[in-house]
Amino acid sequence: MKKQIKTAVILMLVGGLLTAAAFLMAFYTAEVQTFGTVNLTKAQAAASNTVFEVAPANLQPIDGTINYLRPWLSQKIFYFHVPLAEASFLIFTVAAFFAIMFLSKRRKSFDTKSRIAMEVAFLFVIATMITGDLWTRASWGMWWDWDPRLTTYLIMMLLMLVYFVLRNSIEDEERRAMYASVFCIIAWIDAPISFFITRIIPSQHPVVFNSGMASSNLVPFIVAQVGMIMIGYAIYTLRVGEEQSRERLEIIKEAIEN
Amino acid sequence: MMKKPKSEPEKRSGSLNISGWRQFKAILRKDIVIELRTKEMITSMGLYALLVLVIYYIALSNAGSSFETQRIAAGLLFLAIVFTSMLGLNRSLVHEVDQGCLEALLLSPIDRPIIFFGKAVGNLIFLLIVEVFVTPLFYFIFLSSAKMQNSGPVWMVALALVVGSIGIAGVGTLLATMSVNTKGKDFMLSVMFIPIMFPLLLAVVAAASQAIMGDPGYVKVFWQMIAAAIAYDALMIGASFALYEFILEA
Repeated sequence: MKKQIKTAVILMLVGGLLTAAAFLMAFYTAEVQTFGTVNLTKAQAAASNTVFEVAPANLQPIDGTINYLRPWLSQKIFYFHVPLAEASFLIFTVAAFFAIMFLSKRRKSFDTKSRIAMEVAFLFVIATMITGDLWTRASWGMWWDWDPRLTTYLIMMLLMLVYFVLRNSIEDEERRAMYASVFCIIAWIDAPISFFITRIIPSQHPVVFNSGMASSNLVPFIVAQVGMIMIGYAIYTLRVGEEQSRERLEIIKEAIEN
Repeated sequence: MMKKPKSEPEKRSGSLNISGWRQFKAILRKDIVIELRTKEMITSMGLYALLVLVIYYIALSNAGSSFETQRIAAGLLFLAIVFTSMLGLNRSLVHEVDQGCLEALLLSPIDRPIIFFGKAVGNLIFLLIVEVFVTPLFYFIFLSSAKMQNSGPVWMVALALVVGSIGIAGVGTLLATMSVNTKGKDFMLSVMFIPIMFPLLLAVVAAASQAIMGDPGYVKVFWQMIAAAIAYDALMIGASFALYEFILEA
């Protein structure tokens, strides 16, 4: 038990270090996009109430739209946003895997693991949403857009939220575990849809691995990804440990009462 | 635990010689007979759909004469169907639980998947009957004065409705069976139903919208959307079919 917590804490620290290192690394090795511009029509600019500076005359297009200077730091959020998103898909898949394991083996620990994986995935989804919102504001000039990727990801977030609402609305423990597992599996179907939709439907959201990412960007990205998965795993093991000790405490309490 | 429900019915249905098809028909007939006697589902769903159309009139009453209703007509139509179907799905399962019918069904030597299909097809039939009344009414109220020269044939909208209804009835049956056993009941149904159904609804609304508006090249987009909707239907109904057993067991 103690060892588990120790490894979790170490993993957390290493993961945090790696993500921070990747972020700093990006400034040195990756191409810094200082002169990126955001292209908006006049109507869009008025609607989004943009705060960007207008780009210099040599960067303006001739078609009547206006180019705004992209905040130079904005691309750097990539090293948080994308690893968070990929990790959230991965952890959701783990939750669905444990749900299937529960349905086939009927062991309570699988349900607990599925629930905790879902919690961690939800945390990552929220973080992805926040970083994503900041990024869309910086590079598309708006807070939210009903883009296919954004929409399906929002639905995924809602499904996770509903999963917890469902759990809370069932009192019987066995039934709760069973229903939650079934719902987790059905909800998971949205994850591959959200993951692949930018590859099928033309969308504003870039497909990272098809857009010809420079290898100088790839290295910090992979470091950040590894770090993010480590953090996710650390939170997961800590929560599992907590849950196990709580269950043990319940058993002891009952034993004392009787 | 997994083996029990499978082996027992097989043995018994062998001795009584009741095929799955007859079990399915029996469940379906039960729902239809109840409906013919009480006429509860159809009237409540139909009335509710009618009221939704009235609400639409309120929503659009100040849109002005230049507003083109056909641009949002498909969305409005499917919205009415979604609300109506949630009402119907909830009722169809609440009846089963209230009158102890679901327990009786579970005690009887019927395969679990057949219960799923029996209930789902029953729900689909009621939903389609309501659609047959509501859709022409919707056209009559909202689209009779719209410019519809370019729009596609009516069967295209009908196909989108049928594909949508199949998904709604299939997955809805699973979710309704879950929600009747929770504290929230109909609230839980709508909360689970809308995000799960989201991709399907988006596809069928896009398909129906293409057919109603009839913009150039709409046939291609229509079939793409129908194909996506059918794929989602197949995937989701397959999953619901496989998981229904666990829901009934709990």
